[in-house]
Amino acid sequence: MALPSDRPSVPFTTSDLDLLRKFEPVACYTRGEQFFPTDVEHYVRECSLWEHHPDGHDELLVRQGEVTLEKLVEPRTAEFGSVRFLRFVESLSLAESAQVLTDQVRLRRQLGEYFHAGIGRLARGGILPRLVDGLFSLSFLLRGKVSAATAAAAELDYNGILSEDRKYTYYGRVTRQGGWTILQYWFFFCFNSWRSGFHGVNDHESDWEMITIYLYEQDGQLTPEWAAYASHDFKGDDLRRRWDDHEELKKAEESHPLIFAGAGSHASYFRMGEYQAEVNPPFAGWFSGLLNALNKIWTGALGQQPINPFHIPFVDFARGDGLRIGPGESQTWSPVLIDESTPWVGKYRGMWGLFARDPISGENAPAGPMYNRDGSPRGSWYDPLGFAGLDKVPPPPQMESLLSNNINQVSQRQQELDILVPQKSTELQKEGARQKAMEGNPHMAKQYVALEKGINTLSAEVRALRREQSENTALLQGLNRRLELIRAGDQDNPRAHIHDLAVPDDPTLVLRFDRAAETWAAVSLSLLLFVVASLIFFAPGYLWASLAVILILFVVLESILRGAFVPTVGRVTLILAMISAVILFLHFWKAIIVVALLTMGISLMYHRLRELAG
Amino acid sequence: MVKRMKTDKKKRPIAVSVIAVAIVMLFLIRLYQVYEPLFLNNFFRGGITGPFFTGWHLTALGGTLLSTATYLVLSLAGIFVLIGFLRLRRWSWGLLMAWAGVSLLISLVDYFYSHPNYVVMASNVIIAFALNITDVQRIYGIRRDDGSPL
Repeated sequence: MALPSDRPSVPFTTSDLDLLRKFEPVACYTRGEQFFPTDVEHYVRECSLWEHHPDGHDELLVRQGEVTLEKLVEPRTAEFGSVRFLRFVESLSLAESAQVLTDQVRLRRQLGEYFHAGIGRLARGGILPRLVDGLFSLSFLLRGKVSAATAAAAELDYNGILSEDRKYTYYGRVTRQGGWTILQYWFFFCFNSWRSGFHGVNDHESDWEMITIYLYEQDGQLTPEWAAYASHDFKGDDLRRRWDDHEELKKAEESHPLIFAGAGSHASYFRMGEYQAEVNPPFAGWFSGLLNALNKIWTGALGQQPINPFHIPFVDFARGDGLRIGPGESQTWSPVLIDESTPWVGKYRGMWGLFARDPISGENAPAGPMYNRDGSPRGSWYDPLGFAGLDKVPPPPQMESLLSNNINQVSQRQQELDILVPQKSTELQKEGARQKAMEGNPHMAKQYVALEKGINTLSAEVRALRREQSENTALLQGLNRRLELIRAGDQDNPRAHIHDLAVPDDPTLVLRFDRAAETWAAVSLSLLLFVVASLIFFAPGYLWASLAVILILFVVLESILRGAFVPTVGRVTLILAMISAVILFLHFWKAIIVVALLTMGISLMYHRLRELAG
Repeated sequence: MVKRMKTDKKKRPIAVSVIAVAIVMLFLIRLYQVYEPLFLNNFFRGGITGPFFTGWHLTALGGTLLSTATYLVLSLAGIFVLIGFLRLRRWSWGLLMAWAGVSLLISLVDYFYSHPNYVVMASNVIIAFALNITDVQRIYGIRRDDGSPL
């Protein structure tokens, strides 16, 4: 196999740091982004170190200003159920909160970097998701959360760090597994401001993001084959793109992949755009089961597209129209090599920011590159191949020999089967002839039964061998075809492995009435609540009926704004028809069953009589 | 032998005929619903004998005339849609679905608050399910030939 001429490659002997530098990415942020990759040393110096005990109290271990990377990893014992965490922003009083919020406004005015949501997330979902979204917002009253003042203080502190030493850091790791050379680029952010800054799902102190590049070795050269970008908590095949998929994997100067980072969330995307990140509320098991059953009827029996009216549509803005960091850009990287032996990587298992006591973890800070929030090892660190679904994929140069091995192995088995199948088949026929000879001899009944048992077993064996032979023939054809393609240098579809391709919203697919839809999205939920209040006051006797009618009117009005009137009306009518059908069945089940039986009887009689008449 | 010429005409699925029959049946029921209250109120003999409103409230006569007018509009709309539907027009599918939806909504409200007309409800259920059949949707241009929605 020849080296692909369109790909950059480096000698196998290149040092780890030079390898990282050769393929380091260009990170493209959205205008208005508040936090960029920074170094952990500066960050921890601004933090205090805490221990949350199972009885609920928090213990200060190291004061703010005294924490260093060395102190962070000092051995400390802790009881089961305790959580160690850093705290970037200390508790703020009411006056301090007001002060930082004012300072934040001043800072943004100075920086002149404003974020505009445009057609915001609310207008992209329907009325029901909006209703669930309202409840999701209310859930923060019960869950632990990071306050807006904390987010503001974090932004001010980060800008303080940046003005002291403006540098952008990535932590690079080089590891080798299964014939692949793996480059991991880890990015550390002081804060994730997706919720407070960009109408997203969560906020938390500190954020770790990562991308990986997979290289293979051939003729003493290392060549990139895959790139995988971590995005929220996704994993598997969908995360990776092949190096020659130029439409999906954009590159600068041929060797530097472009990352489009989500505003505030910092999730990495291959393509510039605005992504719908859907969050499904954690419903009780029985309710989820009911929804699944209804969806099965909806998609199976009624042939409709699957719907989830309760998902909350959040938008991840990865516009790439803000600061860019990387080769060829005004801001460049400061790389730092890390591995398991780096003390703060291997020895600190705690969280890198505030433990907000959020039971569903969205507002709790993440742990470091090697660990999950609970201190267990992180899959993307110890199994970088499995993380992107590459554990089953051999490096390209090994593919030919693996295919040849497979072909040899299967061919050998086919040769064995070519001898075995006729042998067993003859044996079976011999036994059959013997059994036939026993027929009509009552004194041989016992032997006959025993022989029949043996014949059945042998027959099943011959059938299984023939099936194996037939399957192997098909397998050999496939293996040979694949080998021929590889020898001819043909590349298969670079996206064949992707099950669910993340696609940004189509910028040309705007809502029919942009401004009207946006305004409606903003006010409709409140309007609905006002209407409910009015109904309770003025017409309590007709509350449920009026509410149902008004809800349907809202849905239909919205469908007009979205240009989806016909499908929406179809869906609404179908739902009403299902409810009516249930009512009709409950009232007339006897008559319905009688009519069904009569119809079946008449139909059956008609067909049989036709058959009889010839 | 005379060969039958193939035409470009779309073949009409049986569900379309079922829907057409249901529309006609609904038209007749609605027409009866227009006539009955007027007859009971002696409208044909005595004409309009009182006011429609007292203050901001509808009188019994006003209510009767309002429901009669609603049913008249629904029945006339049914005929209008039926013509488009038999001519396999795309707009008629959407309009008929909306018409069935409104009619079902009225039936359901009636069911929970007064006496529903089960025949109307059943006819609308049949229409809604028949309109949802893939072949019907394909013939009216609501779905593509592969069955995916347009």
